[in-house]
Amino acid sequence: MKKDKDQIKQLLVSIVGQENISGEVPDLIPYIRDSYSTMMGRNIPLPDFVVMPETVDEVQKIVLLANDYLIPIYPRSIGVNIAGSALPYKEGGIILDLKRMNKILEINEDTMTATIQPGVTWGQLRKEANKKKLDIIPIGGPYQTSPVGNHLLTNITPYSSKYHCDRAMTLKVILPNGKILRTGSWASEHGGDANPYFRYAYGPDITGMFRGSLGNFGIIVEMVERLRPVAPVEKEIAFGFKELGPCLKALQAIERLEFTRTCQVYNNILAAHLCLAPHRIKEPGEREKLLAKLPPYQLGIGLGGTEEMVALFEKITAEEAGKRGGYSVPVELELESVAKGASRAIMHMYAPLSGFAAIIGCLPITHVAEINDIVKEAVKKYDVRDPLTGEPQEHELIVIPYDRSSTVYVEQEILYDPAADRATLEPVMQCLRECYAKIVVQYGASHTIPNKTLMKMLVPSYGELLVNFKKMVDPNGIMLPGGPYSLE
Amino acid sequence: METKHLNELRENIFKCMGCGICRGVWERKDEAMCPVWATCLGFEDSTPRGRVTVAQDILDGVIDYSMPLAESLYRCTDCACCATTCDAMDLATGKPIVDVPKIVVASRMDLVENSLVPPPVRNYLKAVYVNGNPYKLPQEDRGKWAKGTEIPVFSGQDYLFYVGDVGSYDERGQKMARSVATLLIKLGISLGILGSNELSDGNDVRVVGEFGLFQHLAESNISTFKDAGVRKIISLDPHSYNAFKNHYPQFGADFEVFHYTQILDDIIRDSKLFKAKGNSIKLTYHDPCYLGRHNGLYEPPRNILNKIPGLELIEMGRNKKSAFCCGGGGGNFFTDMIGGENNSPNRIRLREALDTEAHILAVACPLCAKMFEDAIKAENLEGRLLIKDISEIVQEAIQG
Repeated sequence: MKKDKDQIKQLLVSIVGQENISGEVPDLIPYIRDSYSTMMGRNIPLPDFVVMPETVDEVQKIVLLANDYLIPIYPRSIGVNIAGSALPYKEGGIILDLKRMNKILEINEDTMTATIQPGVTWGQLRKEANKKKLDIIPIGGPYQTSPVGNHLLTNITPYSSKYHCDRAMTLKVILPNGKILRTGSWASEHGGDANPYFRYAYGPDITGMFRGSLGNFGIIVEMVERLRPVAPVEKEIAFGFKELGPCLKALQAIERLEFTRTCQVYNNILAAHLCLAPHRIKEPGEREKLLAKLPPYQLGIGLGGTEEMVALFEKITAEEAGKRGGYSVPVELELESVAKGASRAIMHMYAPLSGFAAIIGCLPITHVAEINDIVKEAVKKYDVRDPLTGEPQEHELIVIPYDRSSTVYVEQEILYDPAADRATLEPVMQCLRECYAKIVVQYGASHTIPNKTLMKMLVPSYGELLVNFKKMVDPNGIMLPGGPYSLE
Repeated sequence: METKHLNELRENIFKCMGCGICRGVWERKDEAMCPVWATCLGFEDSTPRGRVTVAQDILDGVIDYSMPLAESLYRCTDCACCATTCDAMDLATGKPIVDVPKIVVASRMDLVENSLVPPPVRNYLKAVYVNGNPYKLPQEDRGKWAKGTEIPVFSGQDYLFYVGDVGSYDERGQKMARSVATLLIKLGISLGILGSNELSDGNDVRVVGEFGLFQHLAESNISTFKDAGVRKIISLDPHSYNAFKNHYPQFGADFEVFHYTQILDDIIRDSKLFKAKGNSIKLTYHDPCYLGRHNGLYEPPRNILNKIPGLELIEMGRNKKSAFCCGGGGGNFFTDMIGGENNSPNRIRLREALDTEAHILAVACPLCAKMFEDAIKAENLEGRLLIKDISEIVQEAIQG
């Protein structure tokens, strides 16, 4: 690679143009940093180039070039990264920055889908969908993230109980060997372009192979994304609970009635952090005042339908919550922002200090209160301090049902100061490791993304299968997602 | 290489986690908010997050300042959208812990000290240094905009009306200066101007990192104001307002500072100046960054516009804290380091104004006025949308 660096640069220039490639260190530096690099140490090697293609053809040419010269590729969509998912981990190679591929190719009102490129953001898609009385299905990530990136990552998109977590219908992928693969009904050589909307065509769910694959198997250059209709009335309501157990019972009961659009449980720490984005801070001490006002646990519900339907759903929901000690939470500005953020579209970043370590597990709702206690005790045991106040920390909790509570997604966050030294961060890491060990071993809580370490430890059979699949589509081993997620 | 100014923000800089939220916008608005990000879709170092990660590596000694890096840093318009979007906040102050605009200015100060200033910025600074203004025009021409009017020279009136570089020398700015001054006088405000004794306020000189020249300008202005007996200042230009309000006090300034929209808002709040009109004219308003995000003045201009009968104020999708910059801040009005051509910030913003179906785009800053009039020409939209300063709108409403 080093020997031919100038030659390779010239070849890349011939593909994307001079202005869309750089090998300058200041241009490369921002591509090797995110919260993962901060947490795990900052010794990420520099790539050789960052390249910004605009078309499918350009991406394909770059991948073929990479195969010819055995150059690693690190693809990324919009780059709202916090977990190392797009960080290079080998010296050299190409960062493939796909943000110029930012076109919405179609919004189809009949199929309620959008065909998008990887540089399209949720916000951009929502704006265009709204023009046709459609909307994105509620998500868990910030507005600036990419639906394609989220599909590859998986764990940021389970916020809608009605529409479940899977929104990608079909894909157009540049495989690591440079070939183009289309999935679902789009795959058909006869009529595929006329009907790229149906995922479950022709046997195995190849679209699903890419979900959670984090770029190991190829670059998604186009994706047909499912949308939802905008209901005549859409409303968010919230109920407060003093205890977590009854709150979860209420969630379970309401979900089984099958009318909610979204449903989630969160604790007051998460709610406060969501409310207190910087521009909402009005005066010092606002956080304490708000925490005192917030119920310890909150059940947020999104409803939609005609006026009569929503009124009826609201009444039933209130009754179910009331039976378990829930009380209606007055929709003040801050609380409304939490409810809307969680259920209508977007949940913003969790932490007021941006450094957060996530303990994620999917498991039966039965054990949620117990794993909440595990984290609580571990935070206490390792004396993890609130990075803002220096006081003992309380962790954030959010619970979201998959498929009407058959299983729930539980995310618990421990905040830390990204500027702290390694010694200060160590208790956070120890706490994190202990929590994971317990919730996985005792409760079988599963993660949603193929973290390399977890994979080797917990699911070696899966790991072997995926590695073999990768070898098949990536014989030269050039497609490398971020360090923790590479199947290499 | 000198990194003194960046080093002063070391703790602040290393708090950044690099999530990239700062490139976009809070509260469900969809497009990139950072004007550099929106304009060029360039490499990551052109974004707020990229600037911080680069700053981290400069402080770690991994890289040095360089001319390509300087060119990237000077594209920032100091609009402060990143500072309102970042999630990392200081509970004690309610301000972002990672203050990117401050980091950019500190980097630029280092660049100036390392003599790594791109030619357009160097030419701008040289013009201010040699001529006292970026237009390279004579100092004695500074008060010419008021010629033929009855605007008096300051001699102990209640307020000094400070015009600034653009109001003094630019044709569009001069028109706005005349409009504001004559309107305020008509409404009974006692004011005077410094004419050829006025000096550049230095706001943009500070933002491009030439703190020494800024200090000289600030101290000279303060001295002139004090010698003239000035106690209260009305500023035409939000850039001047920002300098006087937030950066002159460190040199001993203790004047009361107002933007002219604050004074107008106060006067017309209870007045019956305006006659009822039958036809409704749709209008939208653009928040200048140095009035809005930097100083929190969102309501005075809106109060004025809402008071005028026959005007229907339609907000653009991005307004107040989410308003998209016109691209003229951070020295870019004079240096145009940001560029962008078809996708320049002023043209993007103009298209947003058009989306509201308004007939008038109201402004409260001479730089914004000029930026949008240029955009109208570039987009061939003459006659479709009028750019009017708030004082011009009020004048017309009073005259019926």
